[in-house]
Amino acid sequence: MYVELRGINKKFGSFKASDDISFSIDKGKLVGLLGPSGSGKTTILRMIAGLEPPDSGDVIVDGVRVNDAPPGERGVGFVFQNYALFRYMTVFDNIAFGLNVQKRDKKHIKERVQELIELTGLSGMEKRRPHQLSGGQKQRVAFARALAPNPRLLLLDEPFAAIDAKVRKELRAWLKNTISKVGITSVFVTHDQDEAIEVADEIIIINNGRIEQKGSPSEIYKSPTTPFAARFIGQSFAVSNYDALRGFEKDDNFPEAILRPEFITVSKLNALLYPNSTQDGVVENVFFRGNLSELRVDVAGVKISAYRSLEDDEIYVGEKVGALIYQLFLVNDREVKLIRNSLLRDENSVFI
Amino acid sequence: MRQKAVKTIIILTCVLFVAIMLIMPLFTVITYAFRQGFKVFFSAIADEYAVKALKLTLLTTVFTVTVNTVFGLFASWSVTKFQFRGKRILTTLIDIPFAISPVIAGLIFILVFGRIGWAYPLLKAYDVRIVFAAPGIILASIFVTLPFVSRELTTLMQSQGSDEEEAAALFGAKGLTIFRKVTLPHIKWGLLYGVILCSARALGEFGAVSVVSGHLRGKTNTLPLHVEILFNEFHLTAAFAVSSTLVAIALVILVLRNLAEYRLKKEENADVR
Repeated sequence: MYVELRGINKKFGSFKASDDISFSIDKGKLVGLLGPSGSGKTTILRMIAGLEPPDSGDVIVDGVRVNDAPPGERGVGFVFQNYALFRYMTVFDNIAFGLNVQKRDKKHIKERVQELIELTGLSGMEKRRPHQLSGGQKQRVAFARALAPNPRLLLLDEPFAAIDAKVRKELRAWLKNTISKVGITSVFVTHDQDEAIEVADEIIIINNGRIEQKGSPSEIYKSPTTPFAARFIGQSFAVSNYDALRGFEKDDNFPEAILRPEFITVSKLNALLYPNSTQDGVVENVFFRGNLSELRVDVAGVKISAYRSLEDDEIYVGEKVGALIYQLFLVNDREVKLIRNSLLRDENSVFI
Repeated sequence: MRQKAVKTIIILTCVLFVAIMLIMPLFTVITYAFRQGFKVFFSAIADEYAVKALKLTLLTTVFTVTVNTVFGLFASWSVTKFQFRGKRILTTLIDIPFAISPVIAGLIFILVFGRIGWAYPLLKAYDVRIVFAAPGIILASIFVTLPFVSRELTTLMQSQGSDEEEAAALFGAKGLTIFRKVTLPHIKWGLLYGVILCSARALGEFGAVSVVSGHLRGKTNTLPLHVEILFNEFHLTAAFAVSSTLVAIALVILVLRNLAEYRLKKEENADVR
């Protein structure tokens, strides 16, 4: 347990930003705080860094309670959402700032900065100012600057939010690799679940200042433990009259079901896989999504979404199709229950 | 076509207005000053009282600008980088001198430090003169020019936010280092701009200073007050000669101001890129 938060509460006026937050992070792990905007994830990060004091609770780093330590003494590197590079300093001076404050000798500073410039692939940019850099380059400078004084812990606030989509994908992989190469315990904040799932070793889902679920990306994805987590992860959509779907019965404890497109297979009527468990539906809309198409299908009055590979025969709007639903999550205010299609269970088939 | 006509009319109106309201009077001041030749002009500005008035004016300006620069830095720093109760009220209060007539500002000091003021016995006990002396003039000038620097800086610092300062603090940088390395480079041109505006106003302040000065020739007369006295005594040429020195200082300030503004704009554009 390298970083630990115990019973953290934080209010801004009457707004509860953190509501009894407790979690711990193992040394060397890359953890993602995932939640919608306004959920309080950045506040958690800022409290770990010491930029915001918690109203109550303890922040513990490496076994020492750091609540009263000023930000500069916590050994924390921080990458801001908009990078907050020192705009009147060159790339070199930005990265060297922390070392200069520590009054390290010039030779050491030069070596360390050079090392980081190579690590982040910024060679040749030492003399540039922040406004002469692209978004991706700024992020690398911010990253190098945060790492320069050898912090114990690296915190990143929405590290990819200000970067365009294509570069973002590359940077994600780069950041994950680089962090594992450096071996530093890291926490990053994101509202983008793809990002969290792809980059993090462990995800903590935050909503309304509370922790909803903590687990590995695949745990979070496959078995959400709270209704919020079930709704938030994946392309989830909610259905209230789920008993109209073939193979599912009404459970009075659960007023709603959460489905994801990947729980559903839509086939042309002449190519059904399991005719007994499949239900007729009418295609209402087809959306081209680049690498696949998304279908909106009306099944017995229930609107569902499903994906279809572009290699399969094209399905048209208004066409009658067969829909097979493998599973869904039943949710109420507190619980989540995974229910498999009862007809499929009877047939003893293999499903995801 | 019609748009073009509208454009021409608007521009022409502005040019005419500026010519009649600003350029013509300034031109008149200068020509009038030299009406009786250079000799009279120089004797007017080299006059003992004129030189003393100039000295007092410069002294006042230096004090005023120094105090208001320090205050402006503190005020804009506290308003933009900290969250506290009554912040709104503080920013409104700082703008009061813009809304109040300078004469009232002068009267306030008479009422506080003058013979009828509550602080008078205390001042008398320590033999300190404020009203009808240089300290009063400086105080009145500070009051009138108080918002200039802080206003310039507040907008600038607001646009910068506090991320960079936070980033510096995370590296363990102390307050003064943060100010020197992170904040000051960002605000320096704005600061200079505020200082220049503040000096221009302090140099020319008449109303507030007139009330607290007492018009003691050679002692508590600033340049604008000296001009008024000369004018009232029908020394018109001398009055305009002394005025023209004020105009000359104003022109220098104007050039400096434009330079500062130009640099400020340039840096702002650099930020956008």
